[in-house]
Amino acid sequence: MNNLLDISKLTKKYQTKENEIVALDNISFGLKKGEIVSLVGPSGCGKSTILSIIADLDHDYTGTITRKSHLKYAYMLQNDALLPFLTIYENAILGLKIQKTVTKENLAYVDYLFKLYKLDEFKNNYPNSLSGGMKQRVALIRTLALNPDILLLDEPFSALDQQSRLLISDDVYKIAKKEGKTVILVTHNIEEAITFSDRVIILSKRPAKIKKIIEVNFKNQYSIYERRKDANFNYYFDIIWKDLDTNE
Amino acid sequence: MSEERKKYLKKVKIKQISIFGFQFLLVLLFLGLWEYLVKIGFINAFIYSSPSNIIKTIIELIRKHDFFIHILVTLKEVIIAFILGNILGFTGAIILYEFKYLAKVLDPFLTMLNSLPKIALGPLIIIIFGANIKSVIIMALLINLIVSILTIYNGFLCTPSYYLKLFKTMQANKWQTLFKLVIPSSYQTIIASFKLCIAQTLIGT
Ligand SMILES: Nc1ncnc2c1ncn2[C@@H]1O[C@H](COP(=O)(O)OP(=O)(O)O)[C@@H](O)[C@H]1O
Ligand SMILES: [Mg+2]
Repeated sequence: MNNLLDISKLTKKYQTKENEIVALDNISFGLKKGEIVSLVGPSGCGKSTILSIIADLDHDYTGTITRKSHLKYAYMLQNDALLPFLTIYENAILGLKIQKTVTKENLAYVDYLFKLYKLDEFKNNYPNSLSGGMKQRVALIRTLALNPDILLLDEPFSALDQQSRLLISDDVYKIAKKEGKTVILVTHNIEEAITFSDRVIILSKRPAKIKKIIEVNFKNQYSIYERRKDANFNYYFDIIWKDLDTNE
Repeated sequence: MSEERKKYLKKVKIKQISIFGFQFLLVLLFLGLWEYLVKIGFINAFIYSSPSNIIKTIIELIRKHDFFIHILVTLKEVIIAFILGNILGFTGAIILYEFKYLAKVLDPFLTMLNSLPKIALGPLIIIIFGANIKSVIIMALLINLIVSILTIYNGFLCTPSYYLKLFKTMQANKWQTLFKLVIPSSYQTIIASFKLCIAQTLIGT
């Protein structure tokens, strides 16, 4: 098996007291190591559902998911969800503590990330003294600290202002490329999907079906800003725009 | 320190002292009015007593040495009931939180117990347990326990859903979620419940 992960004929129904909600309809795709894939679709179509099934948090589905053994997942969510009663450093190592993997190497990696994102001098601050962008960076460190094989990013930039959004998505992009992380990014921002990923999967409105899969190729792979200036950017924007259900 | 800062701090201090002074005056005024109304016979001295009477009684009690013993006995009852009430209340809330099914089953009964006028059960408890320190404590517990459980439990339920989601994504087990997230997030509620518990216990004893 070449792929890290293969999803085949994934269908998901939520049962509630009132009715049955079909969230996913026959979704199939694979993921290679080191690949960055975006899931784009209108809100409520089933994107988060796909992530939680992949991460094994939800076992109630039909279809098959084939994983390379011992895959480790880590999530980054829209809300930074930093605990207000812990310092940002304690927040950053919360996942390590919970998974009982506080090792010297892991802590050294956390220290490296704190320096990389210039948060070093704020280590003992509490989250409420930090800007939204800084908090989301701490959330990023918390996610990366777990040293996952697959990063699951569920609209992690969408609560940020435009500037922090670009800066932090570029941080994630660079570190993912540098360390060969496999990433699934959920977003409903077309530009973000194009500049961030190697492949964009366009989903229909609920129940999510795959409408189209687009391979994104840029000459320049180095940063999100440069990708935005690439001549191909508008070309990809147009095809995604046409295929996206916009009647949200 | 700059002159402005000194001036400002002085102003704040004067304000604080004046507030305290007025509070003290209000208390004096209240006691004076009370004493005066009893003197002129406007209110009944037997039912409402009077400040001078209360002071006399206290002095008498102190002279006969058993005032402090009474205070000590009551204090002991309050402390035992308070500690027991909090421990049991906290434990009860954790049990309800971890066993949501049980919480659903018990819900109407807890609400009913909570709305019961518990003071009215006083005589019943004295009949069952006798007129001793045990029934006083049980009485106090009865009053504060249900309130404690429900207050803390509701605090637990208020844990924001995005934190719970985060813990789920980190594959935290339910004890980690409880001790690292739910209980620390409910800190304010728990403290509030402790305070409420003191008041309730005082009524009970
Ligand atoms: N636990 C649940 N129970 C019932 N319905 C749910 C549940 N979670 C999500 N849904 C429904 O499934 C659909 C897809 O949800 P989600 O995957 O969160 O969408 P997206 O992330 O694309 O916005 C939505 O219509 C949502 O209302
Ligand atoms: Mg979602």
